[in-house]
Amino acid sequence: MIEVKDISKNFGRKKVLKGVSFTANKGEITCLIGINGVGKTTIMNAIMNLTPIKSGEILIDGEKLSKKTFEKITFIPDAITMLPQMTIGEALQFMKDFYESWNSERANELLTFFRLKEEEKISSLSKGNTAKVNLLLGLALDVDYLLMDEPFTGIDIFSREQIAEVFTSHLVEDRGVIITTHEINDIEHLIDKVVLLDEGVVRKEFHTEEVRENEGKSVVDVMREVYKQ
Amino acid sequence: MKNYVKLVDFELKRFIKIYFVLIGMTIVLQIVGVILESRQYLDKATEAMYEYSVPLMEFVGQNGKFGLHRVLETGYFMIPIGLSVAALIFYCFFIWYRDWFGKNTFVYRLLMLPTARLNVLLAKASAIFLMVLGLVGIQLILLPIESTILQWIVPLDLRIDMSVSELVGQFGYGYLGLIIPNSFIQFLINYGIGFMHVFILFTAILFERSFRLRGIVYGVIYYIAAQVLFLFPIMIEVFFETGYLYPIEIFILEIILGLLVIGLSLWISNYLLNRKVTV
Amino acid sequence: MKVTFNKRDPVYVQVVRHFKEQIATGNLEPGQEIPSRRELANQLKINPNTAQRAYKEMEEAGLIFTQGNSPSKITRDENIISSVREELILEAVEDFVSAIRPIKVPIEEVVGILKEKYNDDVFERRDKND
Repeated sequence: MIEVKDISKNFGRKKVLKGVSFTANKGEITCLIGINGVGKTTIMNAIMNLTPIKSGEILIDGEKLSKKTFEKITFIPDAITMLPQMTIGEALQFMKDFYESWNSERANELLTFFRLKEEEKISSLSKGNTAKVNLLLGLALDVDYLLMDEPFTGIDIFSREQIAEVFTSHLVEDRGVIITTHEINDIEHLIDKVVLLDEGVVRKEFHTEEVRENEGKSVVDVMREVYKQ
Repeated sequence: MKNYVKLVDFELKRFIKIYFVLIGMTIVLQIVGVILESRQYLDKATEAMYEYSVPLMEFVGQNGKFGLHRVLETGYFMIPIGLSVAALIFYCFFIWYRDWFGKNTFVYRLLMLPTARLNVLLAKASAIFLMVLGLVGIQLILLPIESTILQWIVPLDLRIDMSVSELVGQFGYGYLGLIIPNSFIQFLINYGIGFMHVFILFTAILFERSFRLRGIVYGVIYYIAAQVLFLFPIMIEVFFETGYLYPIEIFILEIILGLLVIGLSLWISNYLLNRKVTV
Repeated sequence: MKVTFNKRDPVYVQVVRHFKEQIATGNLEPGQEIPSRRELANQLKINPNTAQRAYKEMEEAGLIFTQGNSPSKITRDENIISSVREELILEAVEDFVSAIRPIKVPIEEVVGILKEKYNDDVFERRDKND
């Protein structure tokens, strides 16, 4: 379980996060929703210790993040994190060199699934294919938790469908996934849990099926209620 | 440790193209320089002796004998060496900022590697260190080769043959002596001080990367403070002329302070990388 | 298999309903093997947890059964199958009635239109299939 406990952060005088708390369970897809600039990416960065927080605590399976944790949790930012001059093959080799949890078999499976060629240079890929390589670099790690920042933004519809398909497959099964988005439509059926963020605080945290079952509301219905208040 | 070695290898590969260009430029310019300067001297000598019938002894008396030390003072040597030094100093900054400002923010990957983040810094420093040593090594190999080329062109009567140690030491061609000191101890001192500066600079860069605008101020303050700390005993001697310490004592004190500054820089860098740095 | 889900009912309930329809229409035959939880998630583009939940519900309701490690199968129990059919019919009729009642049409008229429409629809479907 990833526990985010009362974290705060300022950018200069602006308070971006004002005591954000939520949990994300293993085996569930948790979606952080909020308009742009609400601090979703900052939360992801904070979980990965890529940016300092003013106060609060983040625990992963009850432990604070350390170098070993990076074999257990990985983050797929909204832009690819490999050098543009590398080929896809070189990028995979880099990952294999540094991560014990790298799963070459799964990497190959994903290459086939996304129809990517190892000899292609990252800088020459289309936006959609770049996003797929970026995703591949995270998905091929045998980690328990996956963080994805806006995986559906700025890419063509077919790439989007292909990426959505990943969420219905064994590639994310049994793992804990946190994804951020400002556009819920494509993935409403895919997610288990929603964390609604607004102005640096969590406005509501709920399981999608529970809300449908108990209140007959869609995720968008709940959002409308929460944001209109 | 294994990850550190892999990271060094990776950092070296990232700069290798520009590095080879530097090496190529150094080799070509220096050898071309030796050939052209030698020819020029020889032409002058031939002209003097055959057209104006100046005796050899008189020509040598007026113009001096030719040797590699004369080429050292020309742009053929100074430009490639100067450019290499400038490139590596520039790369001390670039090696960090390229990870943040490149097309793809590679720093995410580096900071998420399952290894101590200090290894990333140590790998960057080591890569620069190895590249500096590589260039120095190439210069050391080049000097005797250039000597030989010179000997092919300029006859014995008109030249002075000098060994590498003579070239770098006793004739006092300042800049070369700095790069290739004449004694091993001096070598350690020069490069030790050099690397202390690299570590101080890296710390200052990490201050900037952690606190941005405010960080620049912190970085500059840290840079100055580290210099003051390191030079403290010498400054006291210079300003107050106390003569309280023997040179050897100052020397030992400097070594201790140098190591202290390196240790302090690494400690602060480690703290910044783990607690304060932001992507 | 292609299902369009609405956004207000639990997805797992919609999956169960989809299976009931398939059973009632005979598209899924008694004893027929059904996709694994993982395959189903993939086919319906839903989360594997949801597929798991749907199968759990169907297992509890006796719609499907699993023996050992072999794939789950549609029930052979005639009673259950016929009750599924009844349930669906009843539900559809209830929906229809609650939609038509506010218009206050005499029942005879409704039945007449209903018969007409129902047969037209059957013919249309046959035409399409040809």
